[in-house]
Amino acid sequence: MSEKNARKKQISDLTCFGGSQIFTEPKSTSNLVQPDFDSFLHYSKQFFDQHRYTNNGPLVKLLEKRLAEFHNAKFCITFCSGFWGLVLAMTSLALKGKVEIIMPSLTYRRMADVAAWAGLKPRFCEVEPNSLSMTAETVEPCINNETALILAVHPIVNCCDIEGIVSLGVEHSIPVLFDSVESVYESSSIGKVGKFGNAECFSMHASKLLNGFEGGYVTTNNEELAHRLALLRGFSFEGQDNCVIPGGLNAKLNEIHAAMALANLDEIDLQIANNRKRYRWYQAGLSGISGIRLLEFDESCSTSYKNIVVEFLDDWPLKRDETVLVLNAENILARAYYYPPLHHKNMSYPHIPVSLKTTDFLSCRFMLLPCGDFVSCGDIDKIIQLLGFIYSHGFEIANCIAETAVKIS
Amino acid sequence: MTKNNDFALLGRAAAFAKPLPVGQLYFPSWDRYEAAMRGVFERRYYTNQGPLVQQLEERLQGYLGVKHAICVTNATIGLMMAAEALELSGKVLLPSFTFIASAQSLSWTGIEPVFCDVDPLTHQIDIDKLDALIDEHVTGIMGVNLWGSACDPVALEKYAQTRGLKLYFDSAHAFGCVVDKTKIANFGSIEVFSFHATKVLSATEGGCLCTNDEMLAARLRNIRSSYGAGKPVPVVKTSNGRMSEAQAAVALMSLDDFPQNQQKNETLFRLYEERLKHIPGIKLVKPAGVTFSNYQYVVCEIDKNIFGLSRDSLITVLKAENVNARRYFYPGTHRSIGYLNSLPDYNDYLPVTEHLCATCLQLPVGAMVDSNDVDVICEIIEKSYRYSQQLKSFFAGHDK
Repeated sequence: MSEKNARKKQISDLTCFGGSQIFTEPKSTSNLVQPDFDSFLHYSKQFFDQHRYTNNGPLVKLLEKRLAEFHNAKFCITFCSGFWGLVLAMTSLALKGKVEIIMPSLTYRRMADVAAWAGLKPRFCEVEPNSLSMTAETVEPCINNETALILAVHPIVNCCDIEGIVSLGVEHSIPVLFDSVESVYESSSIGKVGKFGNAECFSMHASKLLNGFEGGYVTTNNEELAHRLALLRGFSFEGQDNCVIPGGLNAKLNEIHAAMALANLDEIDLQIANNRKRYRWYQAGLSGISGIRLLEFDESCSTSYKNIVVEFLDDWPLKRDETVLVLNAENILARAYYYPPLHHKNMSYPHIPVSLKTTDFLSCRFMLLPCGDFVSCGDIDKIIQLLGFIYSHGFEIANCIAETAVKIS
Repeated sequence: MTKNNDFALLGRAAAFAKPLPVGQLYFPSWDRYEAAMRGVFERRYYTNQGPLVQQLEERLQGYLGVKHAICVTNATIGLMMAAEALELSGKVLLPSFTFIASAQSLSWTGIEPVFCDVDPLTHQIDIDKLDALIDEHVTGIMGVNLWGSACDPVALEKYAQTRGLKLYFDSAHAFGCVVDKTKIANFGSIEVFSFHATKVLSATEGGCLCTNDEMLAARLRNIRSSYGAGKPVPVVKTSNGRMSEAQAAVALMSLDDFPQNQQKNETLFRLYEERLKHIPGIKLVKPAGVTFSNYQYVVCEIDKNIFGLSRDSLITVLKAENVNARRYFYPGTHRSIGYLNSLPDYNDYLPVTEHLCATCLQLPVGAMVDSNDVDVICEIIEKSYRYSQQLKSFFAGHDK
């Protein structure tokens, strides 16, 4: 059945115009990698036997040790999510008495909210169009007397200009926090991600490279910062009830999530091999379709090959959002990368209004395609076939969308 | 003076081979854990409002008789979400005699906590003391239901209504408790439960926000981030407060076990009650304001003049025996870092809180404790009372 549905002969075969879906199961952009069940159980047994379910238990300690080693960083502190890891790293690193945080607008949709929880005021910077990442050149104009922190966000394919942004921070005496949530496995020419700037923050959400159900961690070479973060995530308690610094909350990672992350960490190279295979499949398939460009991984350094991002060029017949709509209808959960950019969102907390022309332009051109454990090479063939069909029937589809006034949600 | 060297503190072997924790620490058997996790692996659904979280929310709604139960990653983030959803500002009144997270959740939402004293018998917020603390900046009250007791939520509702204040509850201790015929979960605008491993309902870490208000529920779901649980409504800022499928799996099993775990707590509590009532100077705090309690906290007040030893000395004796008795709460939120700037405001305002912070201790109850353990613990306490003068000299010598 799926074979038949995959072959769209005429536009009425498209699900959005009444045809049947290519995929009965959704194909998402989330990684959702599952480790070996026995390995997960093996780790679980350790906390189970000790009756330690949370509060810096044996597996959290082991995971932190393993991740610090993995990233060649001195310290690793885990959290219940990357979100709260970021918030606590921000409150810890922001220069006292200053309020602005520099971050790109073309990034994670909740990033301005993260800053707001940290009591900081986002000042959005531009990104460089080829790499989709912020650079020293795009950050520098945003620096002023109120700058408390630079949030250096790695794009989801390849790294941002680590050296340039770190030097800029040093030059202006402004701390640099890396958002490396999609960069667990990445390296740049100066080494593995995880030890740069003042600290780096990662996510262990199921959609990310290292699936820990939910979770996050911060790596740093700064012992004082590591100690501070470890306190803050557990109500700032030193010992049982001795609260030693203000600003604590509960952001502890539980032991089951740590077990999952450890089991996945053991198999990370296997995962990278699978990702590489999928990426190569996309690379080969997409090269035969005009109007669409795959964002390529820089293979001169280690990379995760995880996220599949494409750019729609000027000869692509549909708007990006129309394409997303057509794909979504087929159960291909492609997503806009990123829309809307943060500076266009309604924010009722303090922020600096800006106009960002490059970001506006880029925010309408890129799309994430399905990746991860649920996506086989056969699935990728079907996705590419559909994209080819959309390209060759583009104007017909565009007219039909306009006529039927299908709403873009 | 009678002497007895039968204390671990004085060199004898500890009464317990391994430390006995105070927390509940109930957990399903290994087989059930394995089966539940196998299910999660088969579904390959790990988080983002998955099938188990949905099932847990429905079951909690049914059990608690509340319209909306919104599960979260932990109760502190839940309290922060509640303050955010209620759009509180300025100042909020709450007891100082509570876990520090109650106040920390307010600090995280830009609100100044204003501490109220508690009732000496029940340890719950003293409603008569609220008036003196109200000024034009106060926008709400956070009631706290402590120890498996309740803080008279009906009276607080009336009070908040007449003063035009918002009311919500930190009910971290109160899962399953009933006030007349109404389960805690249904009072005020929102009630927040903790499903931490030390609580009677465990998700390892976790919690749940309950409300009967549609709009608040929608706001809370958006602040948590909910992936398909209703259409997002406008909020100031979102967060990540999600509960994973692994957490929900444990909580569902814990909910199945709640009746027997509550029963075990109650049995142990009654045993403590029976044994401790004969010992002068130690007073067990009994459930108050509820018609049904989860009995998840065994909290005692030590009168050092009668008992002969201070609370802290007794804890030292117990710890040497591997009984991890705990000062609870200490030093009192108003005396904790982060709130010390306003400490002068509370001179003479919190006499009961000051007294309780100096005299209360928590004893073990829950999965790791059986009735023999309670007997042994009570024997140690009884002996400590009997030989308090000898122990006191030991401490005096030790302090030199």
